[in-house]
Amino acid sequence: MAVADLTTERRLSIPTGIPTGVLLAITGYFAGVWLGNEFGLFDDQNTGIILGYVFATAGFLIGMGFLNHPLGRLLGWRLDPLGEADIEVGLGRYFRLSLDHKVIGIQYLVTILTMLFFGGVGAMVIRTSLLSPTPTIVPAGNYLSVVGLHSVMMIFITSAAIVGPFGNYLVPLMIGSRRMAFPRLEALSFWLVPPAAVILGAATFWGGFPTGWTGYAPLSEQAGQGMDSYIVGFILIGLALITSGVNMLATIIALRAPGLTWARLPIFVWGILCTSILGLLAAPVLAAALVMLALDRSAQTSFFLASNGGSNYLWENLFWFFGHPEVYIFILPAFGIVMELAAHFARRPLFGYRVGVVGLFGVTLLSWFVWQHHLFVSGIAPVLRPFYMLSTELISVPTGFIFLVVLGTLWRSRVWLTVPMLFCLGFLFNFLIGGITGVYLSDVPTDVTLHGSYFSMAHFHYTIMGGEIFAFAAAIYYWFPRMTGKMLNQTLGRIHFWWMFIAFNSTFFPLLIAGLLDMPRRVSAYNPGLQFLNQWVTFSAYLLFSSMILFAANIIYSWFIQPVPAVANPWRARSLEWQIPTPVPARNFERVPLILAGPYDYGLPNAKPVADLRGLVGATGGS
Amino acid sequence: MAAETRYSAAEAALAALDVRIASVGMWLFLAANAFYYAAWYFAFFYLKALNNNGAWMISGLTRPSRAYGTIVLLLALVSAGAYALATRAPVRTLLWRLPAVAALVVGLGVVLFQAYEMWHLGFGLTQGGFPSVFVGLTGSWVVEWAAATFWLATIISQARVGGDTILRAAPVAAFANLLGFLAVVGILNWILLYFLP
Repeated sequence: MAVADLTTERRLSIPTGIPTGVLLAITGYFAGVWLGNEFGLFDDQNTGIILGYVFATAGFLIGMGFLNHPLGRLLGWRLDPLGEADIEVGLGRYFRLSLDHKVIGIQYLVTILTMLFFGGVGAMVIRTSLLSPTPTIVPAGNYLSVVGLHSVMMIFITSAAIVGPFGNYLVPLMIGSRRMAFPRLEALSFWLVPPAAVILGAATFWGGFPTGWTGYAPLSEQAGQGMDSYIVGFILIGLALITSGVNMLATIIALRAPGLTWARLPIFVWGILCTSILGLLAAPVLAAALVMLALDRSAQTSFFLASNGGSNYLWENLFWFFGHPEVYIFILPAFGIVMELAAHFARRPLFGYRVGVVGLFGVTLLSWFVWQHHLFVSGIAPVLRPFYMLSTELISVPTGFIFLVVLGTLWRSRVWLTVPMLFCLGFLFNFLIGGITGVYLSDVPTDVTLHGSYFSMAHFHYTIMGGEIFAFAAAIYYWFPRMTGKMLNQTLGRIHFWWMFIAFNSTFFPLLIAGLLDMPRRVSAYNPGLQFLNQWVTFSAYLLFSSMILFAANIIYSWFIQPVPAVANPWRARSLEWQIPTPVPARNFERVPLILAGPYDYGLPNAKPVADLRGLVGATGGS
Repeated sequence: MAAETRYSAAEAALAALDVRIASVGMWLFLAANAFYYAAWYFAFFYLKALNNNGAWMISGLTRPSRAYGTIVLLLALVSAGAYALATRAPVRTLLWRLPAVAALVVGLGVVLFQAYEMWHLGFGLTQGGFPSVFVGLTGSWVVEWAAATFWLATIISQARVGGDTILRAAPVAAFANLLGFLAVVGILNWILLYFLP
């Protein structure tokens, strides 16, 4: 009997890549617009624009090659499910559909940094406009659109800033896996992000959208066609969160190396796991709400129109049921990074490892029970307020566990003050302020006063930028040698840290004061008595933006202009991702390793090496 | 002579791992799905309870046809049941192929009947809360059912002799959970949209 060749791969001979994707996206857009305008139920442009964006995205993904595999399966062809035949080298792989988690991690990193630049430019426009108490460079009518574009772009970025580059690149390496569970889903989660960003940017051609990132109805129902960009862009990010969540969780659950028990799992991976749970379960609720909004705007249904049987509170509930866990989607992986790095740079076992895990899960669980604190001033039933106030205040307890773990690890240790560690310490300082100001906002009486003010705005910038983005920077400095084989310039890194830390606090701490002085957010004009404060903040914001330019310059300089090859394990860390050669081999490990000890057993007598990289003969992964 | 696929021990171990991954992945996907439909059910009960402006279900509104709803549900149950039956037999045998193909054909019927019903609703989309939820919830369900049908077609196509390796047989069992889940959602929709006063 003939034995079938298991490695035979038949492929569709369709040229795929970014040019094909862009071409099909443009074709798809115009086809969708025509279809919507021709056959839409109502005489507005929304149906056409929404269909245009949907078809454009589908066209882009088809052009990138996402249809080849399912179509080949439908035709009964023998295919390569894991992309074993797709191992590529060279720069070109970063511009194609790749199933290599390391390539996808780098793709994410570069995309996130690019989007961060555009989001930052939006912030600079806002701050420049606020140099004067009356609107200057941005007319009052457009101010909210700029705020909306900045905020939604930043939300897109921060949703994926850590899970995208570092989760995808590092999780398989840290758990001793030779692959991701669903490489195609992983690639899809990345390739949904660029269309989302472009579609969001396209809102500018339609005059933007006036709702900010919250998209409250009925304003979102009345807004112009720019709102359609918000809807489709956000749905794509939601899909990216779901696909990423399925892939990450399945990988961590099913593909841990033998010996990697839950008690030995690196704390960063725990952070990614908790984040993925939140993304997986919260994003579908957002997707449903956005479908309702799209139907209201295109098919004239009335989910959010009170006059016709709907309710704007329906949007507020569904949005914040997603929106508050989303905040923890930003911060949980940052917690993971800070705990991970604290152990490595203190050269001590992670203090209270289990407490840290409980803290991460505590935040994950409680984040589902706090969303209505966003509605304290929206007219929710007063009897509900105490519950949501207490549940919100309660979340500071597991957050306190995280701080306890980090401070306990650093306590009386000789901390190696590297650049990544500096950013971790910066995170602790900033997030402490963000957390404490959050307690005030969880309290009903103070929230009623401060909710619409710059106090609230400064609070969430302290948590997201002061928290997540500082941890993001720490992660780049720490894992850059692992991902690229190059060291980032440490002198520039130290200058970057102090510049960013001082400029960040100089920007946002005065805004807490501006909020206490009743300066309302989302308004382009303010009390002239606050002009000096605002000018101070604007110049500080310029400094903050320039610190990010320095960061980008350091990355470009160290990666391409004056690259310094990194030594094999520059931080002399115990964790598994540092035990493999540079560059990381195509399948990560020659064999699935056998995990012998935890990653933080520094200074322990008779501590075993973290893994036997020769592995077990015949082991396939899956602890 | 038809090609036959044989597997080494290492390949069999990989296949077992892949089955586990597919199973875990499917449960995770279903969890996400559950939250998606929970949002729609929340909208249903929330708008129904509020009945803003008395426009949840305006007087004189023609409710969707129970006959159509029942036919769609029955087809969905038959499709999911047939596929569940198929998973009891080894892949590529006639006992697997027959019910799987039946599930596919009946599954296509679900899409066609539901689409027909949506074009003959008897009420306008602008006529209040209930029509909004009906169209959104039913539309979401049938779009997902159509995608599942496509997936089923790929599974059947890949399950022929020489057409696949064991690795790709992994979705076969996991897919039954998806059809089962969608059938349960179909039952809930049927009760809420056609019978709840």
